[in-house]
Amino acid sequence: MKIKTWFYFLGEAFKSIYRNGWMSIASVGVVIVTLFLLGSFMILNYNMNFLSEDIKSQIEIVAFVGEDVESSQLDQLEKRISSMPQAEEVDLVSREEALVRLKEQLGEQGHLLEGYEDVESNPLRDSFEIRSSESEEVSALAQEIDSLPGIVKVDYGSEVVDKLFTVTRVINWVGLGFMFALGASAMFLIANTIKLAVYSRRQEIMIMKSVGATDWFIRWPFIIEGLVLGVIGTLVPLAGLYASYQYVVDWVYNNIPFLPLIPPSMVMEDIVKILIVLGVGLGILGSSFSIRRFLKV
Amino acid sequence: MIDFYNVYKNYPNGVSALIDTSFHIKKGEFVFLVGSSGAGKTTIIKLISRELLPTKGRVVVLGRNVARLKRRDVPLYRRNIGLVFQDYRLLNDRSVYENIAFALRVIETPGKEIKKKALESLELVGLRNKAKVKPLELSGGEQQRVSLARAIVNKPALIIADEPTGNLDPETSIDIVNLLRVINLRGTTVVMATHDKDVVDRLRKRVIELEGGKVVRDELKGVYRPS
Ligand SMILES: Nc1ncnc2c1ncn2[C@@H]1O[C@H](COP(=O)(O)OP(=O)(O)OP(=O)(O)O)[C@@H](O)[C@H]1O
Ligand SMILES: [Mg+2]
Repeated sequence: MKIKTWFYFLGEAFKSIYRNGWMSIASVGVVIVTLFLLGSFMILNYNMNFLSEDIKSQIEIVAFVGEDVESSQLDQLEKRISSMPQAEEVDLVSREEALVRLKEQLGEQGHLLEGYEDVESNPLRDSFEIRSSESEEVSALAQEIDSLPGIVKVDYGSEVVDKLFTVTRVINWVGLGFMFALGASAMFLIANTIKLAVYSRRQEIMIMKSVGATDWFIRWPFIIEGLVLGVIGTLVPLAGLYASYQYVVDWVYNNIPFLPLIPPSMVMEDIVKILIVLGVGLGILGSSFSIRRFLKV
Repeated sequence: MIDFYNVYKNYPNGVSALIDTSFHIKKGEFVFLVGSSGAGKTTIIKLISRELLPTKGRVVVLGRNVARLKRRDVPLYRRNIGLVFQDYRLLNDRSVYENIAFALRVIETPGKEIKKKALESLELVGLRNKAKVKPLELSGGEQQRVSLARAIVNKPALIIADEPTGNLDPETSIDIVNLLRVINLRGTTVVMATHDKDVVDRLRKRVIELEGGKVVRDELKGVYRPS
């Protein structure tokens, strides 16, 4: 078809959107809410992943040694841990050193430890601090170390990360449910808008059919109408997400400088792609549905 | 040009609208379809325009078996046929000219030709001076002339009109039919379903009469109701 024809379709689509004003606004509105939510969740997830990587890389495994282990055996234990392929760095922290650290951490409350300071009464244990070579291996390595004779307890940062992930997963499922419901209603509203458009133009459609307009010539304006609704519903949340995330990043940078966030340009690239595909998809799906049911060409 | 071979049409609700109908219309003929209400006139027109398909038998129009037309080819087929209805079927939110231009635009007529063809067609029906008027500001007869202008704008080989004078007074009816006659004289085949005794009796053209879905009379230079 000629370029001019496409302009004609576009003109007809916009006319129709204008004519069905409230319905158009409602359907675009729901697309906007749906995609804004989806985008927010994506940003949240990217940052959760980013943050947990950061946490994982900072926190090492701490393996506590049993009381019955002789000091002379510590060397051997350290060697065994060091020989594990994923263990990158192994440090021995003696009970004395641990007590000193604890005292430092307590600061003014340091006097609480009075009376525990000699070798006999020190309640703390010798421990190893281990950094793993790959963050995915932390929990496997921790388990391996835990199974060594003489090791009574192992703590590792991934526990924190795992909890974080559990929380994120719950949020994600709830969010996904929400978005499905919203996406479905967005599609329903677009379909309904197109249905109204078909209805308000039934006379034109009847004439077009009787003078020999092709099926596609009749369909295109409605498909484009759905598409335009979807695209408007995508551009608004994209602009909104970009601006508000930029604002959040700036705020966090100034107020919580140690909290790492992904720069907007990095997350937005994926979000732009996914939101456009979804917006366009919702629009076309919605209009195809109504065209099939009500246009009957 | 139009050949019905033993055509049957049953509607989904079980009504047999046409029963073993056969007739043949040649190029350039002017034919009235008459018969009481429910006799099957509109059904014949819808079979010709391929809005309906025959249940049994063959409908051949312009050398094509309508039942064999591919979906894709139906619109192109319809461009050979000008349709006129009792209710004019005009778009009341745009001008007379726009109504004609619309019919050309939706079959992708090049922009340059649209204006020329539309004005020519309005000239022929004598409404060139009303091009900018909206249909509802016109009389019924004028509206039907606009609809005729639209039907002929693409120079179809065939015009089929379903009770085109059904809403018009006798004098206006004659005007419309005279226009159809002019169009017919220029070589276009005309088939007109009608209840209009005056018109049929005055023109003395071929008359095909239906009754209960059957052809009961087919005569040249016929009248509405034979005495
Ligand atoms: N869409 C339809 N579904 C079911 N039955 C129909 C349909 N259209 C027409 N009929 C029936 O088919 C028969 C023929 O109808 P048709 O419309 O062809 O008659 P007609 O000669 O045009 O009548 P009129 O002069 O009133 O316009 C009638 O009995 C009618 O009730
Ligand atoms: Mg009828």
